[in-house]
Amino acid sequence: MEVFKNWSGSMSFKPGQIIALESEEQLCELVKKATSEGKKVRVAGAGHSSSPLVHTKDYLLSLKHFRGVEDPDLKTKRATVPAGMTVKEAGKDLYRYGLAMHNTGDVDVQTLAGAIGTGTHGTGKELPNLSAMLYGLRMINGKGEIVEINRENDPETMQALQVSMGSCGIFLKMRLQLEPAYQLYRKEYCVSFKDCMQNFEELKKNRNFDFYWYPRTDLCKIRIMNTDKEKMPHISYGSPELEREGPSHEILPRSRDLKFDEMEYVLPQEKAMECFYEVRKQVKEKWRRTVAWRLLIRTIKKDDALISPMSGRESVTISLHHNAGLRFWDYFKAIEPLFLKYGGRPHWGKKHTLKAGTLKELYPHWDRFQKIRKKFDPESTFLTPYMNELFNFEK
Amino acid sequence: MRKIGKLDWAFSGGRIPFESTGEEPEFNSHDKISVLNTSEEAAKIGIFIFYEDQAPVGNYEVEVEPKRLRKIRINDLIDPEAVALERNYGCYIRSNIPVVVQFSRMATGQQANGIMGSMAFPAD
Ligand SMILES: Cc1cc2nc3c(=O)[nH]c(=O)nc-3n(C[C@H](O)[C@H](O)[C@H](O)COP(=O)(O)OP(=O)(O)OC[C@H]3O[C@@H](n4cnc5c(N)ncnc54)[C@H](O)[C@@H]3O)c2cc1C
Repeated sequence: MEVFKNWSGSMSFKPGQIIALESEEQLCELVKKATSEGKKVRVAGAGHSSSPLVHTKDYLLSLKHFRGVEDPDLKTKRATVPAGMTVKEAGKDLYRYGLAMHNTGDVDVQTLAGAIGTGTHGTGKELPNLSAMLYGLRMINGKGEIVEINRENDPETMQALQVSMGSCGIFLKMRLQLEPAYQLYRKEYCVSFKDCMQNFEELKKNRNFDFYWYPRTDLCKIRIMNTDKEKMPHISYGSPELEREGPSHEILPRSRDLKFDEMEYVLPQEKAMECFYEVRKQVKEKWRRTVAWRLLIRTIKKDDALISPMSGRESVTISLHHNAGLRFWDYFKAIEPLFLKYGGRPHWGKKHTLKAGTLKELYPHWDRFQKIRKKFDPESTFLTPYMNELFNFEK
Repeated sequence: MRKIGKLDWAFSGGRIPFESTGEEPEFNSHDKISVLNTSEEAAKIGIFIFYEDQAPVGNYEVEVEPKRLRKIRINDLIDPEAVALERNYGCYIRSNIPVVVQFSRMATGQQANGIMGSMAFPAD
């Protein structure tokens, strides 16, 4: 039996079978077979989630054969991306057609379907997470039927499917609402914590802005990106570390060689910085003895997906990192209550300890989501034990 | 300019203090190595950290440009993993060309700062 391992190596398991089918018909048949056998089906993207979303002892699917951007339309600024494509591949292909995504996360090696499915985000207070691009879907539901749906013919259902972690069906193709291709300018500076905080509100006005805080030096690294339309600010209080310019899909992501584990919480913007100050205090007093990895603070625009972590709230995220292989849980579990105290919602694809009972309280549209999910997957073919813990606290 | 120094260095009394007082990052308690490269060539340095109760961790890779000095706080090394504070460690430093390595510690846990420094042991 083949072992499936996530990127950091902190989550591994042996699925019954890892299958990479090549046609929609084969996929439909497999879902029907699994449903009739009472078995579970999960789809894995690039394995970049560290929560056990794709953990199953039955069928684990890969859609790696489903690639190649289709039907680009410059007038509506839409194109269709098959679900096996990574963010990087999609970005490159779209660029050839004069289109681009409004943002990416910090890396582009995830599949776009996986990134959309967990509400993966970049930074920028006017920029929602990647799932907000989803205009329409072609997918396979839990009965093994192909369903086509979009924001015009069924906006309510789309709000449920947008961030759904593969719990409603297997995405085959995603119709995306995009932007005309654009250039980005990127600058990074090392600044003192005091300067970073004093200028935080001003810095947030940049198209993309985030900062790292380094626990062992109390220094920050600010990262700023703008298009031609905005002006690059002059940062007199920082020492320059990097300057780049190019098409958005090349400038937005960075590469990550050093493996880490991560907990990230999404906080309501009004409370986030108070939370960050408390986290920083605790890290300095207790955790920097063993932890040297930086914390990352980002801003994200609200969206209306039913269980997106940014649903209905202008948001700021705080993420903790620790070297892969070191004891990250002690640290993460000690800080997690602070995130919850300030109303934080966990990133679906990263480490957290929440179960349905707590999660339900964080999402006003929780029940609506569950109703729609059950409609698409009445036999719970996509509901593995972990997904069940996330969704069904009453069992 | 001549290459001076040695290829292999080591010290055994590493222990980064946890407590600090004063402005950061200037007054963070730390262990530090200073590497002097007098040559015309970049020095590729590998740092290995040894512990009392586990296998060594490394290689931490650092480069020192030609005819330059580089100060490296052990506290700031994270790749392949962060070095814990208040834990005894020893250190082996390997270079591809001769360099000079000095070790120092600053402890600011009390108001009166303590600084000490010594040569690392030139092993070759
Ligand atoms: C180094 C690194 C950097 C990261 N940077 C960021 C960042 O900047 N911002 C951020 O928000 N997150 C970030 N993440 C988290 C990452 O973006 C998410 O975990 C993302 O979901 C991973 O996508 P994946 O392709 O690996 O999918 P997986 O992790 O394999 O799957 C994620 C979810 O999507 C579902 N899914 C995948 N494909 C399909 C499909 N075809 N149909 C239906 N469901 C599907 C899976 O079932 C699963 O529930 C990072 C992670 C790592 C390891």
